[in-house]
Amino acid sequence: MIFNSELSGQQQHTTSPVVTGGSVIALVYKGGVVIGTDTLCSYGSMAAFKNVEKIAQVSKNTLYVSSGEFSDFQQVVKELAKIDRSALQYDDGVHPSPRDYGNFLARLSYKKRCKINPLYLQNVIAGFHNGERYLALVDIYGTYLESNFVTTGFASYFCKAIISNYWNENCTLDQAKQVIRECFKVLFCRDCRAHDMIQLGYVDEQGVHIEQAERVETKWDFNGFKTRANEKLHTQ
Amino acid sequence: MNYTDILSPKFEPETTGTTIMAVIYDGGLIIGADSRTSSGQFVADRCADKIDYVHDRIFCLRSGSAADTQTIAKYVRYYVDAHAQELGRLPAVATAANLFRNFLYEYKDSLSAAIIVAGWDPYKGAQIFTLPLGGSVIEQKWSIGGSGSTFIWGFCDSNYKENMSLQEARAFVLHAVGHAMYRDGSSGGIIRLLNVTKDKIEREFIDYKDVPIK
Repeated sequence: MIFNSELSGQQQHTTSPVVTGGSVIALVYKGGVVIGTDTLCSYGSMAAFKNVEKIAQVSKNTLYVSSGEFSDFQQVVKELAKIDRSALQYDDGVHPSPRDYGNFLARLSYKKRCKINPLYLQNVIAGFHNGERYLALVDIYGTYLESNFVTTGFASYFCKAIISNYWNENCTLDQAKQVIRECFKVLFCRDCRAHDMIQLGYVDEQGVHIEQAERVETKWDFNGFKTRANEKLHTQ
Repeated sequence: MNYTDILSPKFEPETTGTTIMAVIYDGGLIIGADSRTSSGQFVADRCADKIDYVHDRIFCLRSGSAADTQTIAKYVRYYVDAHAQELGRLPAVATAANLFRNFLYEYKDSLSAAIIVAGWDPYKGAQIFTLPLGGSVIEQKWSIGGSGSTFIWGFCDSNYKENMSLQEARAFVLHAVGHAMYRDGSSGGIIRLLNVTKDKIEREFIDYKDVPIK
């Protein structure tokens, strides 16, 4: 995959992202893999785009989501879609597996890292192939890690504890979804770049299912929050 | 990346990236603020009270560095208290504003603080003084501040009217702060409102689910 800017000899260095997508959380469950992300793309500190669908279906049994620069995410979605189409040229009925997509993304990210022109993304690939669940994280440098659970961005700080305590790799789909919802509740409270509308998608042996965006419920009417007032501090 | 280690070269100090607002209406003034204190990308306090008490009928709204504004407010609160004790009556809002101004002006190179001083006094009624970064003092009928204010200048310019009723002013502040919180990543949480009149001050807590725009 060659970028036009590289062909024309222009040097391009992605030093800082402009439009960014938020945290991604993905968990393996008994029958497949589920991914959750919020529906917000931020423009710096501004919540610019609020209804963005960020879960991409790459093939019949593979999902791809990433956090980081959104234009890079869209470009990668195009390139991953090309892979299945170009595989048709061999006319041998062999389709790329989820691991093939993960591996391709890792090699691509590493190549761009070596040219100091990275895809500014933390990528998550999830799939279900031949009865086996697949989940991998590919980071900005091309580090490839297959795992049972994956978090990117702020979720890596806040959500690993929640996941460790409430999830196991053989839980049901609903249990895994509920853990993801709990994680996004915490993120909405503690991450400036998070939104309370999230979207879940899962892959199982039937294929890919992407759900409608839903709002997570957070609690704000604690007594301590309500009755906290500065004049009480200073006039007593 | 949120760096909270103070020795790290990328240390991001705790600031009140915020939305604050004060509006004079016919009978008093309404103050509104969001409740998010952010330290870079991390929400350090999700239910903060940004409406700071200076005196019984004088409040200040703080934006910029939390450390700077809290310290200055503490000094001004002390000075106003001492002054009011000696005066024997309610201090003027302009006095508090001037005391804030002295700090912001003399230390303008070291501070990151922008403050809105709002209150009521028996001499001139409800007043709002805006003190931007350099230490100037500008009296206004309505004022917005903080990072979220950039998103609502158009809304406020179009919707502000002179001599609003309490209900109109409250709705104006609620919708303005709500719109700012909707778009500004550094603002969020709940809305705190304060109604300041001659006779009383009334606090209101607007739960997240009651914020007009989500």
